[in-house]
Amino acid sequence: MSTVNQTPATQAPVLKDQIRDFIMENLAHAKGITSFTDDESLMESGVIDSLGIFRLVSFLEEDLRVRVSDEEINAETLKSVNSIEQLVLSKKK
Amino acid sequence: MAYILQQLLTKSAERYPEKMAVWARGRSITYRELEERSNQLAHLLRQHGIKKGDRVGLYFPKCVESLISMLGVVKAGAVYVPLDPQAPADRVGYIIGNCGIRALITKEEKRRSLGESTLASLEFCVMTEEATKSSNGTKIIPWTMLSEFPAAQSPEVVLTETDLAYILYTSGSTGRPKGVMLSHQNALTFVEWCAETFEISSEDRLSNHAPLHFDLSVFDVYNALEAGATVYLITEDLALFPSRLADFVEQQGITVWYSVPSALTLLLLHANLNAEKLGRLRLILFAGEVFPMKYLRQLADLLPHVELQNLYGPTETNVCTYYEVERERLASLDKLPIGIACENTEVFAVNDQDEIVTQAGGTGELYVRGPAVTYGYWADAEKTAKMVVPNRFQKDFEEKIYRTGDLVQLAEDGNYYFLGRRDSMIKSRGYRIELGEIESALLSHEAVKEAVAIAVPDDIVSNRIVAVVAAHDGSTIKPSELQHHCASRIPKYMIPELIEFRENLPKTSTGKIDRVQLTQESIRAANQPASEVVSQ
Repeated sequence: MSTVNQTPATQAPVLKDQIRDFIMENLAHAKGITSFTDDESLMESGVIDSLGIFRLVSFLEEDLRVRVSDEEINAETLKSVNSIEQLVLSKKK
Repeated sequence: MAYILQQLLTKSAERYPEKMAVWARGRSITYRELEERSNQLAHLLRQHGIKKGDRVGLYFPKCVESLISMLGVVKAGAVYVPLDPQAPADRVGYIIGNCGIRALITKEEKRRSLGESTLASLEFCVMTEEATKSSNGTKIIPWTMLSEFPAAQSPEVVLTETDLAYILYTSGSTGRPKGVMLSHQNALTFVEWCAETFEISSEDRLSNHAPLHFDLSVFDVYNALEAGATVYLITEDLALFPSRLADFVEQQGITVWYSVPSALTLLLLHANLNAEKLGRLRLILFAGEVFPMKYLRQLADLLPHVELQNLYGPTETNVCTYYEVERERLASLDKLPIGIACENTEVFAVNDQDEIVTQAGGTGELYVRGPAVTYGYWADAEKTAKMVVPNRFQKDFEEKIYRTGDLVQLAEDGNYYFLGRRDSMIKSRGYRIELGEIESALLSHEAVKEAVAIAVPDDIVSNRIVAVVAAHDGSTIKPSELQHHCASRIPKYMIPELIEFRENLPKTSTGKIDRVQLTQESIRAANQPASEVVSQ
C-alpha cells in the first residue's frame, strides 16, 4: 500500500524511508499527525497505539521480511524510526 | 462507613501505614505517605485560595502523584477534573473553561501545550515535577512546597456525601465534551457495592489499566484504598505491548484486573498467556463495550479458575448492572447479558408505551434509579433535563432517574441484554464516542461542505471510525490534512481512520443525509479485500 518515491539514482528503497513512509501513511495520518522526526518517540506522540503496534509488526514481517519475537516488541525497539531501523538491521545480519 | 472518599484513605492509612498504596513506573508510596502528602497538598490548595466546590484540573500522565492529587483535592473540599493527557490542547482548554477550573496540577510539558488564554485564566499551577521557570502570569508552585504544609491532618472542611468529588468529561453529540458531575455518594455507592461483591482484601493487588478520566479507574483506585490493597497504575510503556503487560501482571502478582474487553483480547492474541503465568489473578472485570463471545470463550478456557464479571453502566451512574460469567453457558450463549442491578441501584426498561417492562421478552430503554445517579452535566441544564428526569413511575416523593439511551431486553433468565442505542453514540475500545462530535470537527474545516462519521463494526475494538465527506466546490483537500485538522479538536481515538471524498452525499427522500446507506456502503467496503477499498 505504501509507495516510495525513487529518485533515478536509487536502485533499492532506503530502509529508513520505507519505515518512515509506512508509519506516515498507515499510522500517523489516522491520528492526524503529519510529521515526526526519526528519533521521536512514536508512542508518546500517539502515532502508535495498541492496534498500530501490530500493523507495524505485520509490516516488518511481511514487507521487510524480518521475524520479530514477542519479547522484541517493546517500548525500546519500536520507539522511533531510528530504533525500528536498528531492529531490522540487527535481524538482517 | 465512609461518606466521603478521603475517609477510605484515612482509615486504611491508620491500619496499614507502611503498606504500599500505589505503584507507577517503578515508583511507589506507602499509605502513610499518601495520607500525609495529600494532607499537605490539601492545605496548600486552600492556602492558595481553593474553596469548597472549586474545580481543580489534573493534567499529567499517570504516576503516584495522580493519587496524591485526587485525594489532596477532595481533602481541600474541592472537585478534581482529570484531564486526558493525550487529548488535543484545544479540547483540554475547552474543558478548563467549561467548568471554571481555577488551578491545575500538571507537568511542565503539558502546561506549556495549553493556549495563551487558557493559561491566563488559571490562578496557579502546582507542578508535579521541578518547575523549570515561572511563566508570565500564572503562578507556578513546585511540588517541593508541599513539605511546608501540615501533614498529620487534612484541613477542616465541612463536606457531606452530596458534595461533588469529581467531574468526568465524555463525548458530546453537539461537538463539545460534557462534564458528568459525580458526588462522593455517587462514587461510594459504586465502591461499596464492589467491596461487598468482589471481597477486595488488603492482600489484593489491583491493576489500573483505564485512564484516570475514565470511570473504570474509580474501582481501581478507591477499592484499593477501601481495602488497604495496592493499586498498580499501568502506563503506556506497558499498555501498548501485550507481552510486557502480561509480564507485568505476572511479576507484580496482580490479583484483580479491570479493563475494557479489547485490552483483554489484545493480551489473548499477542501475549502468549498461560494460566501459570497469571496464577495470582483471581478476578477479571470488564466493561465499556461488548466482549466478542469467541474471545471471551478463549479467555475463560485459558483461565479456568478466574472469576469473570461483565459490568455495565454509563459514566452517569458508573456500573449499574453486572453479570457473573457462567462458564457452563458460554458455549450456547451468543451474547453476554449485562445482568441484574447492583445492590443499592435499581434499573428498569421502559417500552414504547412508556410502561415498565416486567415480562420476559419485553424490550425498552434502560433507566437507572438510586444514589448512583449523577446530578447531571456541568453548566448544561438543557442536556441534564433531557437525560436526568423526574421519576414519573413513582409519585410518593420527588426523585430523578437517568435514561441511558440503551435499548435492552429482559430475558427469561432474569438478566437484561443489551440490544443497541437509540442515537448515534458508539463505542470504540470502550471509549464513548458521539459521531456528532466527530462530524463537528470535520465540518469546522472550511473546505468541508458535508460530513458523516460512520462506525464500522470490528472484531476487537467494537467499532472503527471512517468518514465520508463532501468538499466545497473547488476545494482540494487531502484526507491526511483533514485528519490533522481533527487532531487539534478531538482525541486520537475519535479521528476517522479512513476518509472518503464524494461530490455529494446521498440524501433520503426528506433531504437528510442518508446515513443508513453510507453505513452499509462503508461496512461492505471494509469487508472487501484491501485492494478494493476506496481510500486515500
